[in-house]
Amino acid sequence: MVKTGVPRLDDLLGGDIPKGKSLVYYIQPGVEGEIFGLQTIYTTLIKSGNGVFIASSTSPAVVREQFREFGWNVEPFKKKLTFVDAYNSLIGVPSEEKYAVLKPDNIENFNEIIIKLLQESPPSTIVFGSLSTIMDLCGEKETIEAVRSWNKIAMLYDHVIVYNFTAWPYSEETLDLIKNELFNAVISVGGIAERVIFGQYFGILKADWTEKIRKSMLFRVFRPGGIKLFIPKIVVTGPFNAGKSTFVHSLSNRAISVDRLGTTIAIDHGHVDYKGFSADIFGTPGQERFDPIIKLISGEAMGIFLVVDSTNPEDFVRAKQMLKITKSYGLPFIILANKQDLPGALKPEEIKKLFNLPDDVQVLPVTASNKTGVYEAFEVLIDKITGGI
Amino acid sequence: MADTIELIEKVLADMKKVRGVEACAAVSRDGLLISAIMQNKRFAESFAAMSATMLGAAETATTELNKGVPDRVIVESKRGRLITAGAGPKALIVVLVDSNTGLGLVLLELEKSAEKLKELLL
Ligand SMILES: Nc1nc2c(ncn2[C@@H]2O[C@H](COP(=O)(O)OP(=O)(O)OP(=O)(O)O)[C@@H](O)[C@H]2O)c(=O)[nH]1
Ligand SMILES: [Mg+2]
Repeated sequence: MVKTGVPRLDDLLGGDIPKGKSLVYYIQPGVEGEIFGLQTIYTTLIKSGNGVFIASSTSPAVVREQFREFGWNVEPFKKKLTFVDAYNSLIGVPSEEKYAVLKPDNIENFNEIIIKLLQESPPSTIVFGSLSTIMDLCGEKETIEAVRSWNKIAMLYDHVIVYNFTAWPYSEETLDLIKNELFNAVISVGGIAERVIFGQYFGILKADWTEKIRKSMLFRVFRPGGIKLFIPKIVVTGPFNAGKSTFVHSLSNRAISVDRLGTTIAIDHGHVDYKGFSADIFGTPGQERFDPIIKLISGEAMGIFLVVDSTNPEDFVRAKQMLKITKSYGLPFIILANKQDLPGALKPEEIKKLFNLPDDVQVLPVTASNKTGVYEAFEVLIDKITGGI
Repeated sequence: MADTIELIEKVLADMKKVRGVEACAAVSRDGLLISAIMQNKRFAESFAAMSATMLGAAETATTELNKGVPDRVIVESKRGRLITAGAGPKALIVVLVDSNTGLGLVLLELEKSAEKLKELLL
């Protein structure tokens, strides 16, 4: 079973990439997309599979260095990671790899080596570091024909075959074939500029073994760390003294609060790095006199936590009002029934009744002061935000 | 549109060149970091959130008192100055200035940069 190793993408692809399938990362120029293929091969290795990397735009040595940059030690997998060197002969350097394409501008030579490799290797994850480079050297039509046959042979030999492809201005026909026909799955990787959010996203354009889910996800590339899903803003709101600041601190890897005399007068801000997600958390004040700030802070939120003190139902009216102030309706939001450790704390079901909200609104039990339920709540909200399953 | 971010980075790079400016950032009104030039990158996101809250609070305070929207917020400490100014409805710009440079030129350039940022994000 092969996984991409890209957070959330594997879920969206139905868990994994079945044997025999081909997948292309269709990358907009200028976006850090080639790491996708790298992350996929590394994920294969740590799940004790075999990996083959076709290095066509840089030398295998540079690719090994890239693995290191991302904090991925491939030394222990020496026997399971094979390189095809389709680069060094371009610059006149002899290759030290088992497979080398000596004439990388000649598709026949490529064909010969790749087909031999596909036939000789045990079922593997085969990753082309840059299909576009091969296309530039060998021609568009020629390369497309070659890819057709590689995909077929890969299928016969139970490989999973993965390509990084940078969508330079090739002919419409070529780009169409790549987006629609040539591969079992197409993941688009691009840049996004929406209002004040500038970043990079990926999304599934096609995956013929599973119901396709058209949902784009923001990501960031970390060195070390690799691809992480990026959630620029999750808002934590709720009435005075509910435990918002405590929650932000217990969830975050690092956080700061502007509290004076025991209450938040401006904002809590934290950063969470958890299970492949990188999220920034914005906590609001709770008291009514800070409503303008609450409104300000909650703009552009991707999801909301509404924290309530489970021993204090008198504040639920205010809590509900805060959902309006933060424009939560229409956004993914969940209610956190905090202070579950205290005697007399209402159970989530009781709170849900009192709130009188639609059935699909979730109320989760947490005790922010000792972190109970905190990460579970985070996962539930993240699932809602990323349309997870 | 994809290049907007590069243009914003250029505005910030120019601002950073002004004498005395140690760091600067473009931030959305609601506290998201758009881009920053600063040493301590790890703090950039929090810094952005704080700056937006500061300016937002100042604007609310003065407008409620019928004194109009402030041109900028200047925070002075022994070791430097922090200046935040609105840059149109979507963004703001914030600069960190050392403690011994006169603010005249900085404020002038800040106004120009804010105007450019505003145009870029329209
Ligand atoms: N027993 C218990 N106390 C908690 C829990 N979470 C927070 N508290 C306490 O509740 C009080 C308020 O916590 P904060 O995190 O400051 O609450 P807040 O919602 O940020 O408050 P404001 O910013 O003033 O609106 C503090 O005394 C916390 O120690 C919890 O899970 N259990
Ligand atoms: Mg607080």
